[in-house]
Amino acid sequence: MEDYKNTYSILGKPVPRVDTRLKVTGQAKYAADYEMGGMLWGKIKRAPYAHARILSIDTSKAERLPGVKGVIVGKEFGGFTWGWQAHTRDESPLAVDKVRYMYEGVAAVAAIDKEIAEEACDLIDVEYQELPAVFDPFEAMKEGAPLVHENRPRNILVEYHWNFGNVDKAFDESYLVREDLFQTPRQAKGYIEPPAVVAWWEHDTLHYIGAKGSPYMLWRILGRAFNLPLNKVRIISPVVGCDFGGTKNDAHALDFTSILLAKKTGRPVKIVYTQWEELTTCLRRHAMWVRVKMGLSKDGMIKGLYTNVVADGGAYARMSPVTMYLTNGQATVPYRIDNFKTDTWNIYTNNPIAAAMRGHGMYHSRYAIDCQLDLMAKELGIDPVEIRHKNSIDNPKPGETYYTVNKLRVATCGIKECIEQTAKLFGWKEYQKRERAGGPIVHGAGIAASAFLSGARLTGHNSCSAIVRINEDGSVNLQTGATDVGMGSDTAMVAIAAEVLGLEMKDVEIKRVDTAYSYPDPGSYGSRVTIYAGEATMKAAEDAKRQLLEAAAKAMNVFPEELDIKNKKVFMKTDETRALPWLDVVREACYASIGNVIVGRGVSKRGTKGFSPKAFATGEGDVGTSYGFAAQINEVEIDTETGVVKCTEKSAMADDCGFPLNPAIVETQCIGGSYHQAISAAIYEEFVMDQGSTLNPNFVDYKRPRAYEAPFPKFAHVITNDPFGPFGVKEASEATTCTGAPAVINAIYDATGVMIKNMPATPEKMWRALKEKKEAEKKNSH
Amino acid sequence: MKEELRDLRFTLNGREVELKVKPKTLLLELLREDLKLTGTRTGCEVSACGACTVNIDGKAARACSILAVQVHGREVVTIEGVADGEKLHPIQEAMVNHGAIECGFCTSGMVMSARALLLENRRPSREEIKKAIQGNLCADSGYMKYVEAIEMAAKAMQGK
Amino acid sequence: MKDFSYAAPKTVKEAISVLAKVKGDGKIMCGGQSMLVLMKQNMLTPEHVVDIKGVSGLNYIRYSEKEGLRIGALATHSAIEKSPIIKKNCPVLAEMEDNLAVVQTRNWGTIGGNVCHGDPAADPPSVFIALNAKYKIMGPHGERLVAAEDFYKDYLEVDLEPDELLCEVQVPTVPANAGVAHDKLMAQKGDMGIVGAAAMVTLHPSTGACEDVRIVLTNVASTPFRARNSEKVLIGKVIDEKLLEEAGKIASEEVNPPSDVHGSEDYRRDMARVFLKRVTAKALEKAKQKK
Repeated sequence: MEDYKNTYSILGKPVPRVDTRLKVTGQAKYAADYEMGGMLWGKIKRAPYAHARILSIDTSKAERLPGVKGVIVGKEFGGFTWGWQAHTRDESPLAVDKVRYMYEGVAAVAAIDKEIAEEACDLIDVEYQELPAVFDPFEAMKEGAPLVHENRPRNILVEYHWNFGNVDKAFDESYLVREDLFQTPRQAKGYIEPPAVVAWWEHDTLHYIGAKGSPYMLWRILGRAFNLPLNKVRIISPVVGCDFGGTKNDAHALDFTSILLAKKTGRPVKIVYTQWEELTTCLRRHAMWVRVKMGLSKDGMIKGLYTNVVADGGAYARMSPVTMYLTNGQATVPYRIDNFKTDTWNIYTNNPIAAAMRGHGMYHSRYAIDCQLDLMAKELGIDPVEIRHKNSIDNPKPGETYYTVNKLRVATCGIKECIEQTAKLFGWKEYQKRERAGGPIVHGAGIAASAFLSGARLTGHNSCSAIVRINEDGSVNLQTGATDVGMGSDTAMVAIAAEVLGLEMKDVEIKRVDTAYSYPDPGSYGSRVTIYAGEATMKAAEDAKRQLLEAAAKAMNVFPEELDIKNKKVFMKTDETRALPWLDVVREACYASIGNVIVGRGVSKRGTKGFSPKAFATGEGDVGTSYGFAAQINEVEIDTETGVVKCTEKSAMADDCGFPLNPAIVETQCIGGSYHQAISAAIYEEFVMDQGSTLNPNFVDYKRPRAYEAPFPKFAHVITNDPFGPFGVKEASEATTCTGAPAVINAIYDATGVMIKNMPATPEKMWRALKEKKEAEKKNSH
Repeated sequence: MKEELRDLRFTLNGREVELKVKPKTLLLELLREDLKLTGTRTGCEVSACGACTVNIDGKAARACSILAVQVHGREVVTIEGVADGEKLHPIQEAMVNHGAIECGFCTSGMVMSARALLLENRRPSREEIKKAIQGNLCADSGYMKYVEAIEMAAKAMQGK
Repeated sequence: MKDFSYAAPKTVKEAISVLAKVKGDGKIMCGGQSMLVLMKQNMLTPEHVVDIKGVSGLNYIRYSEKEGLRIGALATHSAIEKSPIIKKNCPVLAEMEDNLAVVQTRNWGTIGGNVCHGDPAADPPSVFIALNAKYKIMGPHGERLVAAEDFYKDYLEVDLEPDELLCEVQVPTVPANAGVAHDKLMAQKGDMGIVGAAAMVTLHPSTGACEDVRIVLTNVASTPFRARNSEKVLIGKVIDEKLLEEAGKIASEEVNPPSDVHGSEDYRRDMARVFLKRVTAKALEKAKQKK
């Protein structure tokens, strides 16, 4: 298992990240750290209603306040709307005719300081006509319910109805059939850095520094919003403080308003959201009602699966069409399922908007399916590890492919080994034999297994390219459009380039994205960066290497194919004593004739055809290159008198990411994704809503997971070397994110016999469930 | 009385600083906006995330919850004052080498909490380390590697 | 944050004089750990802030057999948490501080600030009431002593005139045959207790029966709640599980807890019962161990 560490010179080794020195000394500059001369502060005025028509806006008092330099309202964007697909462009930068969720922006102010901007916002008079609203998707779907968007009958954004095999027959033939309803909470992205932007105009070019994980996504949106050719939209990436697929991966009011205010005032405008704005108005994970019906044979083999999922998408569409696809489409991995049916809806409500978030979609169905599996395993008397192992997809032999019933292509699948390794690291067998102590404190352990899509490729422009430039002094510049939001992609790209060129990490310099100079990349989402940008980087480095070897071959009087580069030496493969140092070869190449610049170019050509709306309608086919797999076991400690649940340190996980380019990064990503974006929702997190109002929009009342209660998972890497990723890579950490919640919920079930079907298992919820169980047992014993 | 500026003199990262501030200025605002030391971060408004943690007289404190005038006569160290020139502090070294740091936004606060802990307690137990960073929210690392890095730093500082 | 007038007196006398001058419109700030969160969100907008962090002579922790424990109002939570004097003579205070918020708050926040804020969810007031402590308050007319349990009038309202200053907490020596404990319901370490409890149990030296008991619950009413009727059930008896359950039940019916995102009224009622039992049992254990 340890072999992967010695396969390459750099790849597979836990080298330190390229940007951590800047971060650990405080030198890293995030969006809020930037200042421009003459800068103004922007602030957005927000509506105090979840659903209301805007009758009038009077900005005159605000405009007269000394220190205010510009005020804008929604109309000034000229009817511009945006959305992920052409037919889902339902959102305006600021509300124009009506507001559809609480605190939606209706106007914005730029002033010489923050306080004046805030005061000016209070001086803007808006007349509203409150409208009837909907907050529950089931109510919203009823005939006659108030419409969030007039062109969306019954508030349905999308619905899919898929049918593969014959689930009814499968259920008839099953020994045990169960139907359960699970509910996932509305969850915050949870990053500590609030969205921030500094925008200004120069020479008719829009300049934008903002915390975005997918700058090119914004590049195209802003080009359309401000009627600019793409070459006049300049987006500069600062260091970004996490993304997780939401507001920092898409656009929000601050992005448009800062730019329009900068245009109007002729000065740079800075907007930094408060954490309150982030938690009330920015994108959250969907709340979903996941009804699952599964049929098992007597020995625990899954015969059929039916998912019926209703999601609360909130006031605007965003990525919800993809969300519903990913929630249900991935239900056929990691276990073999020959009969699969889905009915699913994403519904508009007047709640804050839901969008993509780490573990996108699969997170919801995984919770339901993997927890129901434990309920059924219990009924059948089968061990939870065993039932998963026997149902798991086998790792296809090299050259072979497994297709799920809905045509997901699986070339490599290490899930069985993940389950084995996890159980071994945890000591699962021994744990089952433990004596259950008396007293109010109980312990339990639960397992979950999952897969997740890698290399997502959606519609639109998906070009992903890289440039490797070798300078005359031997140093190397690497430029891609990929954005490191903390997941370590910069380090991975540098490692790939250095590996191919036979250099050390420190020889290759990567700069953050600047759309004026760097090359487009779709963005940091769908676990695609290492696969596509990695491929582009690899090819760019190979291209540069080829040019160098041509020059070296001339100098050494051999053929280029006879040469290779390692440890900064160009050498003959058949006689390593015939070698030239890297710098000599570079000089040879660069100083030939009047001076060359060695530029290697690479473009990613891999990937599937990309989805089409038809695929969503039938549910058939992939939107990515491969699937990563993971298993996780967690132990919980529960105080049965108070209901307080916490993870103990005892935990294990195993991840199949194809090949871990940097095992240290993979580990932290997996462990972190599981704790912060998953286990946290199993135990601590949910937005508590009341008529569209978020009751807990701060980190005291909305509990984020902390260090004292963190699990310390033992970790195993499972190597499968996928043929569709450079160096065999697949995604890392989204599969583990999907295992976090069900593992903990199953652990609670193991400890108490209570299955929490509506995360989070807050102290009170646990207390109530335990009370109900006790009362039910009393009744039954009579 | 309200607009009156107050004299403020204190040691910041080893240097004497003297300026005039409005009493309502928070230490965090002074550091980031007036002194342009942006390494101390703004994360939340409710004193919950710890991204703004600094050391005052060797103790961890949140700059967002302290009036700047209150550090008069005291010694303040921010993240910018932890490394010794180009040489990283063992805590920083350990965090970098152990792979604890992801997006880095919580890192300044983590370093400052760890620094204060090790100034007071050279041999902290794992429990004590967890307690020392309980006030520092992270969103991506899972905390495990931060705790382990601080353990490693403590050992390194003991000369092990 | 709304602007304010600011004064930073250097002595108690000066502080009192400034407070008298801005009578009614002044707020004392010390560590600011409770106040600034509210002021940043403009939920608290004092006209005048009197910063007493620099007042001399109020930052100490002293103990003598005769006078008991004397804690200056400006002693930080951290100082109390780590004080060898406290660990030796009144360890329950160190235990309480171990769970009080997080280290950053404890390093700057003071015991005086916490005690005077009047939050019924706060821990120190409950422990001080259990310990039968008194607060020494100075004003223009001299000093007065108020029993901790008489100090809390209503939610965020304490027995302090606008021109008065809390200077010292006086904790009598814990009797030889008494045990004191504190605990609270936390989802995460350092949380404000969803509910909490402090108890001091004094045992009869020979019979082991409960001679005296003081039980205080937090976050179950608008002030710290002294569970007198629960105490009555226990006094004079040898405390056992049955009696504790009875005492707990009485409290759960008597309290009037809030309902919020952390817990409903129902839940808090039952937790009042659970924590009354747990903490009284803990105090009882400690009393027994002393013999």
